Amino acid sequence: MKPGLKLLVAGAALAFFVALPQLITVKYYLHLSVLALVWVIAAQGQNLIQGYTGYVSIVQAGFMGIGAYSTALMGLHFDLPVWLTILLAPCVTAIFALATGYPSLRVKGHYFAIVTLAFNMVIFIVLMNFHQLTQGEAGITGIPKPGSRDGWINFRDREVYYYFVLIVAVAMTALAWLIVRSRVGQTLMSIRQNEDLVGAIGIAAWKYKLFAFVVSAMFAGLAGALYAHYQSFINPEIFGVAQSLDAILAVIVGGSGTIAGPVIGAFVVVFLPEYLRFADSFRLILYGLLLVLATIFMPRGIVGTLAVVWSKLERRG
Amino acid sequence: MTRTVLRVEGLCKSFGGVHALRDVSFRVDEGEVLGLIGPNGSGKSTTVNTLAGIFPPTAGQIFLNDTAIERMPEYSRVARGLARTFQTASVFPEFTVREQITLGCAVTLKSHPASSIFGFGRKAGEAEATAALVADLLRITGLTPVADAPVATISSAQQRFLMIATALAARPAVVLLDEPAAGLVAHERKTLSELIGAIRDRGTSVLVIEHHMALIMEVCDRIVVLNFGGKIAEGPPAEIRADKAVIDAYLGEAA
Repeated sequence: MKPGLKLLVAGAALAFFVALPQLITVKYYLHLSVLALVWVIAAQGQNLIQGYTGYVSIVQAGFMGIGAYSTALMGLHFDLPVWLTILLAPCVTAIFALATGYPSLRVKGHYFAIVTLAFNMVIFIVLMNFHQLTQGEAGITGIPKPGSRDGWINFRDREVYYYFVLIVAVAMTALAWLIVRSRVGQTLMSIRQNEDLVGAIGIAAWKYKLFAFVVSAMFAGLAGALYAHYQSFINPEIFGVAQSLDAILAVIVGGSGTIAGPVIGAFVVVFLPEYLRFADSFRLILYGLLLVLATIFMPRGIVGTLAVVWSKLERRG
Repeated sequence: MTRTVLRVEGLCKSFGGVHALRDVSFRVDEGEVLGLIGPNGSGKSTTVNTLAGIFPPTAGQIFLNDTAIERMPEYSRVARGLARTFQTASVFPEFTVREQITLGCAVTLKSHPASSIFGFGRKAGEAEATAALVADLLRITGLTPVADAPVATISSAQQRFLMIATALAARPAVVLLDEPAAGLVAHERKTLSELIGAIRDRGTSVLVIEHHMALIMEVCDRIVVLNFGGKIAEGPPAEIRADKAVIDAYLGEAA
C-alpha cells in the first residue's frame, strides 16, 4: 500500500473513532468502546515485544494490574494528584519489567515466555493475598476520576472519558509507529528474523529486547491506570493470565507486526464475546473456536490478510 | 614494518575431554589475506567461533589491535573491528538487500539509536555517509541490481555475497570469512576471489577459512594449516603446497 493511501486510511479511522460516540445509541456499547481503547494501548505494547521482536510475553494483563494498583494506591496513600499517578504508573511497571526482563532476555528462546507467565501468576497471587495493600479479592473502590468535580472538563461523563482515552490511545499508537519505523524498530524486527546475525553485526540484541519489553510493559501500565480511573474500582480478576492471553490474541488476530493490527484486535477481543452472548453458556467455547479458526485461516491476522488481498487487487487493477 | 591487526596466542579450547584447539598461535597483518585450512575436525570452525566470541577460549589470548578481546561478548568485538560471516547463508529474509546492509552499518554510527525515533540529535552527514557506504558495498559485491529486492527472493549465492557486504558495513579492521565459496559455482568463485582482493585493497584484513584449495592458493598471502587442533604449518602458498606434513595430513599427493 502506498504511503499516501496509508495516511488516508489512518485519517479515516481517526474520523471514525471521533464520530463513534455519536453513532452509538446503546450506552453499554460506549462503555465497551472505552474498554477496547484501553486494550488498544495494551495491545500496541504487546505488539512491540511479540509482533515486532518475536518474543511472546504472557504478562501484559499482569502489568496492567501493576499500573492500575500503582495509580490507585499512590492516590489513596500519598494523596497525589490523579494526573501524576497516571504518569507514574507506567514508570512503576517499567521497574518490574526490568527486573523480570533482565535475567530472562539475556538468553535466547522460550525461557522468556515461561518467566513472564510465571510472573503474571505471581502478580495475581500477590494481588489476591496481600490484603493490607490490595484488599484482596474485594478490590479497591472509590478510585477518583481525573480533574476536579467543578473543572471545565467533566471526566465523570462517559463520553468525555472516551475522548480522553482516545487521545492517549492515538498518542501511544503514534509512539509505537515512531519506534517501529526507526533504527530501533529495524533492530527489533531483525531480532525476530535472525537473532544470531544481530550479534554478528555488532548489536547487543539483549539490550533491544529489554527495551522492547520495558516499553511494552509501560504501555500496559498506562492502560491499567486509565482503566482504574475509568471504572473507579479494581480487583485482581481481570489482571490474570487469561487476560494476558487476550492481549496475545489481540495481536495475532489483528495482525502481528503491523500498527493497525492491535487496534482492530483489541476491538475484536472486547466486542466479540459480547456478540456471542446469544450462545449463553457456550459463549466462551464459541469464542475460543472462532479465534482458533481465525488463527488457522488468517495466520497473518486481519490486517495481514487485507494487505495480501489489497496487493492482489492492485496487481490486477 | 607492517602492523599486526589480529594476534592469537596459545589458543586452547576443550569441550569436556575433547581438545578441539591446542596451543594455536598466528597473526593477521594489516592488509593481509590469511588462509586457515585443514581437514574436517581440525579445529577451523572452533577457531572462528572462539575469535568471534560465540564461546570463550579455555586458555590463550586474542588481541585485536593490541587489545585483549577474548573475554568480550561477540557484539563488542564487532564494534572494535572484528566482523564475520557464517558457513551457511545467514540473512534477514524480510528486509530488502539495502536495508540489511544499512543495519550492518549501525555499529559504526555515532548518533544515539533513540535519535532515530524522534528525529533529533542525529549527527550531521551520518545518514548520507551511510547511504554512500551501502551503495559502495552493493557495487563491489555485485548486488546493486537487487538492492531493493527482499532478501528472501535473491539467490543463495547472492545471499552469501550479501552476508559479506553486511560484515563489511561494520567497517572492520579484519573480517573472518567462514567457507565463503561453499555452494558457489565457478564464475561465482571468480567473483569471490576478486571481491576478497577488493576487500584487501580497502585496507581490511581477511581471515578466510576454506576447503576450495585453488581459491585459497590464489587469494592468500599466507596460509595457516591446522590438524587435530594444532598448527602444523604456516607460510606462503607455494611453501604450504610443498610442505610434507601438510601433504600427508590434508592436501594429498594430487595437490
